[in-house]
Amino acid sequence: MNERNDRIFGVACTFRRPSDVYRAAEKVRDAGWKRWDVHTPFPIHGLDHAMGLPRSPVPRLTLLGGVTGFITGCLLTWFMNSYDYPLIVGGKPFWSVIYPFPVLYECTILFAAFGTFFGQFIFNRLPRHHHPLFDLPQFARVSDDTFMVVLEARDPQFRLDDARGFLQSLGGQEITVIRD
Amino acid sequence: MTSLPSAHPVTAQWKKFLVVAVAALAVSWGFAFQGLSGHEHRPALSVLVGGLFWVSALIGMLMLTMITRVFDAGWAPIIRRSWELALPGLPVVLALSVLPLALLPDFRHLLWEWTDAHHVLPGGHEVGHDPILQSKSWFLNQPFFLARIVLYVVFFGGLAWLLRRGSIAQDSDRSAGHTHRLHAISAAGIPMSAIMLTMLAFDCLMALSYHWFSTMYGVWFFALSIRISLAVTVLVTHLLTRGGWLEGIMNQAHRHVLGCLCLAFTVFWAYISFSQYFLIYTANIPEETFWYNLREFDPLTGAKSQWWGVSMYLIFGFFVLPFLTLLFYRTKIVAGRLAAVAGLILAGGLADLWFNAVPRQITDKAAPEGFTVTPFLSSGLALDLLAVVGFGCLVAAIFLRGASRHETVPVHDPRILESINYHE
Repeated sequence: MNERNDRIFGVACTFRRPSDVYRAAEKVRDAGWKRWDVHTPFPIHGLDHAMGLPRSPVPRLTLLGGVTGFITGCLLTWFMNSYDYPLIVGGKPFWSVIYPFPVLYECTILFAAFGTFFGQFIFNRLPRHHHPLFDLPQFARVSDDTFMVVLEARDPQFRLDDARGFLQSLGGQEITVIRD
Repeated sequence: MTSLPSAHPVTAQWKKFLVVAVAALAVSWGFAFQGLSGHEHRPALSVLVGGLFWVSALIGMLMLTMITRVFDAGWAPIIRRSWELALPGLPVVLALSVLPLALLPDFRHLLWEWTDAHHVLPGGHEVGHDPILQSKSWFLNQPFFLARIVLYVVFFGGLAWLLRRGSIAQDSDRSAGHTHRLHAISAAGIPMSAIMLTMLAFDCLMALSYHWFSTMYGVWFFALSIRISLAVTVLVTHLLTRGGWLEGIMNQAHRHVLGCLCLAFTVFWAYISFSQYFLIYTANIPEETFWYNLREFDPLTGAKSQWWGVSMYLIFGFFVLPFLTLLFYRTKIVAGRLAAVAGLILAGGLADLWFNAVPRQITDKAAPEGFTVTPFLSSGLALDLLAVVGFGCLVAAIFLRGASRHETVPVHDPRILESINYHE
């Protein structure tokens, strides 16, 4: 049995108290797991640190979007007012960075918002219509009174029996194998 | 109350700061009086600039104190106490800078030219016959002006006293009622302060060039005040976490909040300053554009003046650089980096005050245009810095003396645990 089974999504383990799942998360992190997650009915302060989660990469796409938007705004106003159909409005130059600033600013904001919105979709791998965890009867209680640690089979160190034993050693309540 | 037995050793420094403050301010005022004989306005302007720098910092702290009260900010109590300890400096700085400059007729006529009916304008007319002034005289008349200046001292002094007294009383009687009362005082105080600081900006800065007007000026002054006060807060708390009483209390999450606020108000300041410029640029009406023209080029040759360099510094040094660096998470949480950006913001804040207060038309019959513009580079800059240091040491002395006599952290604030354990 000690071999990778591709039809297994992972192993889930429930906990009754926030402090238990917090300590369990620290141990999973220290054991070097990469593909795993914790599910809780409410936010637990410091859990991101206990899980060793890095900062979200979404702000990078926001910045990229903002810079793209600013440049797009510059090109847009320059092309229309100074290149394709040169036009003097209100005695202002054909193109400067001042008069079209509202356009540049709005383009910056718009594209930065696009970067954020689509960035979180990309990094969260959304849209996704189903998840193997939804088949688990206990998973409904994660939005009520149960905490859950899930070790995924995608993790390079996943061996079914080892994972089960490891979760047992963390003091979990109910350990279930999730089929994909 | 005398010294707490637990007063932090740092607080004993207050006497040294007071000595430096008295010496620096004596020199500043000495030069200002000396300038009277030669009809030189620049030394008196230095006292005004130095005073207004700290007035804006303290008004910002006053607003932040009230805003964090109204929004029940859980992170705020440990930092808010520092603002409350500094707040008595607000009426004191006003009373040692703006108030005497306005009350003493010689200084008033030098700085606020519209108060001197016989002052000759570049066109050859006297101020007393200026139709622009006459139509503004319902607001710009001397009795009302002086009454407003006195009102600023009384209003800001009274509000600062109320906010500080309730918070400190809570340290001994442990009553949550103070938090509720201060919540109500703050809710009323925010709109009142908004009006008062707008009037203060009109009277102390915009009225230095009384032909010009901008309805955004009050908001600009508010944005500048918050930026300067946040930068001072970052630097002071940074020092206090390295050997002061905030050591082990202030954490990364508090820095993150201050950094986020610095970023927000950097953007807000740029938004307001640019909007003011943009509306005047777009409308292109001479009675508004002259103010920016004085700050861009030589009136005779049209060549860029020193003030153009200052305005470029404001754009790139006071907006672009702090904005781009504060965007990064690490800048907001690494204490040294945040303190460096705060230093940049303080320098920019002083440059912005210079940009607004110093350039003015000086009537000069020999000049082809009838006037010259105050240059940026002059010995006046050294006097400005002296006044900034003088008033700064005065505020530091008041702050440290308060810290030696009261709790430096509001130990019985209902949110004190939330504040100490604040998490990102």
